[in-house]
Amino acid sequence: MDLTFGPEQESIRDAIRGVLADRIPAPRARAELAPDPGLWAEAAALGWFGLGLPEAVGGAGYALPEETILFVELGRSLAAGPWLGTVLATHALTAVPALRDDLASVVGGRTRVAVVDDPADALGDATRPTGTVRGVADGDGVDAFLVLGGRRVRWVSARASGVRVAARESLDPTRRVADLSFTEPSAELLGAEAIPLRRTALVLVAAEALGIAERTLEASVAHAKTREQFGRPIGSFQAVKHRCADMAVRTEVARSIVTFAAVALRDLEPEAPRHAQQAKVLATSAALANGHDNVQNHGGMGFTWEADAHLFLKRAWMLEHAFGTRTAHLEALAAPWRAG
Amino acid sequence: MEIRFSAAEEAFRADARAWLEANVPRDRRPVGADLAALRAYDLAWQRRMFDGGWAGVSWPREYGGRGASLMEQVIWYEEYARAGAPEVTTTFVGLNHAGPTLIACGSEEQKAFHLPRILRGDVVWCQGFSEPNAGSDLASLQTRAVIEGEELVVSGQKIWTSFGNVAEFQELLVRTDPEAPRHRGISWVICAMDTPGIDIRPIKTLTGDQHFCEVFYDGVRIPLRNVVGRLNDGWRVAMATLGFERGTAFLSEQIRLARRVEDLATLARSVPGPRGGRAIDDDEVARRLALARAEVDAMRAMTYRSVSLAVRTGVPGAEASVIRLFFSELVQRIDLLALDILGPAAVERRAEGPGARWADAYLAGLSQTIGGGTKDIQRNIIGERMLGLPR
Repeated sequence: MDLTFGPEQESIRDAIRGVLADRIPAPRARAELAPDPGLWAEAAALGWFGLGLPEAVGGAGYALPEETILFVELGRSLAAGPWLGTVLATHALTAVPALRDDLASVVGGRTRVAVVDDPADALGDATRPTGTVRGVADGDGVDAFLVLGGRRVRWVSARASGVRVAARESLDPTRRVADLSFTEPSAELLGAEAIPLRRTALVLVAAEALGIAERTLEASVAHAKTREQFGRPIGSFQAVKHRCADMAVRTEVARSIVTFAAVALRDLEPEAPRHAQQAKVLATSAALANGHDNVQNHGGMGFTWEADAHLFLKRAWMLEHAFGTRTAHLEALAAPWRAG
Repeated sequence: MEIRFSAAEEAFRADARAWLEANVPRDRRPVGADLAALRAYDLAWQRRMFDGGWAGVSWPREYGGRGASLMEQVIWYEEYARAGAPEVTTTFVGLNHAGPTLIACGSEEQKAFHLPRILRGDVVWCQGFSEPNAGSDLASLQTRAVIEGEELVVSGQKIWTSFGNVAEFQELLVRTDPEAPRHRGISWVICAMDTPGIDIRPIKTLTGDQHFCEVFYDGVRIPLRNVVGRLNDGWRVAMATLGFERGTAFLSEQIRLARRVEDLATLARSVPGPRGGRAIDDDEVARRLALARAEVDAMRAMTYRSVSLAVRTGVPGAEASVIRLFFSELVQRIDLLALDILGPAAVERRAEGPGARWADAYLAGLSQTIGGGTKDIQRNIIGERMLGLPR
């Protein structure tokens, strides 16, 4: 039993954090909200997309716990770009020996992928998906779509005929969304299973939410230590101090269950599916509540466009709506109790 | 990162499980007003653990303990709760507070006399820290001890002393230097509860039970050799063991809480819901139950994380306060959910129904965010010690 980072995980975290800090200094997150091609290329060169893949297929040989480290850092830095779809695609493509070239292209950062979550098979489950999906995160400006159906996983090139992408404004200026419409484009059936991939997605989304919770806690604490009113730092007032303490509790809760779920999924523990859903619920709850409290703690400045506080809260809402809301997951988790 | 236990740890688990299965008392723990019966039951169980080599799992071997590693302690307390072994109440202060304090700060004579008695289940210890005017602000305590020859003469009052009316000894904080800065004039003293001048009065709590006491001291003479650590150094002595003993012992309470969520789900399948059907068919009830289980699972992960951090770094971290605060409020959320599920049965007191059991738990749970540092104090600790916010 060891839920702490060893030296190897610490160095992965520090390396990723360093690159993101260089590439996305805080003011830039406001000024330049589009994905940064330079960051993307550097991420590929550093092997971030293949972090959780076996070395035999060009990966770094780590697993989901190390991938969660990447996504925590992406959340902390509000990095823009189709990170989730691209990392999930590497897992989906690894299962298909015939698509090794496509896999290499994704791992190498040359193919960007958005994920389409379609658990109820609204697009059908045939090789020619048809229908409309609204609000696909990162759906604009990618090269391919990974369609996660109820059971099957399909791969659709963004340039295939029958694919229409309409960019939409999203709540979160740092995350693009698009409405997709598929009219029988040709699609490759990948042979990968949608259900385990969706669980991986839940943990990675939860990790990104954990990053939001961490970063907003740190921002609030830093502000509460330096901002003075009534002749003293506002962090000395219990109303503010206790709000920060609650943010810390939520962050610890989220960190613990995300880490536990990631290791449990890696080791194929029988309770891992439950923990993946729990991680999603508790981490997005922490991100939303901390994001809200962080706006409050910054007072009038927290309400401005110029401050970063709103961006974290808005990203938290995007994550809440990725791969099922809290309401949906909690009802699914309660379903076994209700049966019979 | 690893969530499995090692082969050696699993072997330890198998030993613990086998022993507990064979030895956990079959007769029910006495409940209600008969504290003498409760004391006898708890001490008999402690003696049984002692004879089996399982008393004081966290205590070093040289003092008769099991000398278990932190992870083995985790496993022991998990198995302890799983086996339905008796909750640790009357023996708590001796095993988890006074004993470890003596191990850390006591003289050889004090250790030789007291530690075997605690481990064998010969005695009950109680705590004499809080006073009517020193609760959250413990360092303002006023119970005075004046040195006369080889004795301390103690006068004053303590309160919230659990099981003071059935205890032999008390860990007592007294002010020995009223001129010194308030943290520096306090001493930690072993007080025999049968010393003349001590008057113990039970306090009836809102649950109706009487294990809480207030204790009055009127010229109580305590030998100076009963001071633990140095005179006037009692604050440091008291803080020396507030760290980790609670951390692992706490796991049993967490496991019991996990079981209560499952019991509650079973209850929700059998009682009517607010709009007909079963309670579990109500979406809000279902979501709250699922959230409770998620939070219980997260707390277990948080405890594992905290223990593995302590193993890695060698010191208990500040997360202990986070876990304590989260646990106390989670207990109360679950108790509240239970009463919501029960509906009108929550306010009926019928011996045969489930209502009384859950209502009693709800009432008892109100103390979770008061005792051992209120939730407000816990938030101060997290804010100041963990986050570094100014006082």
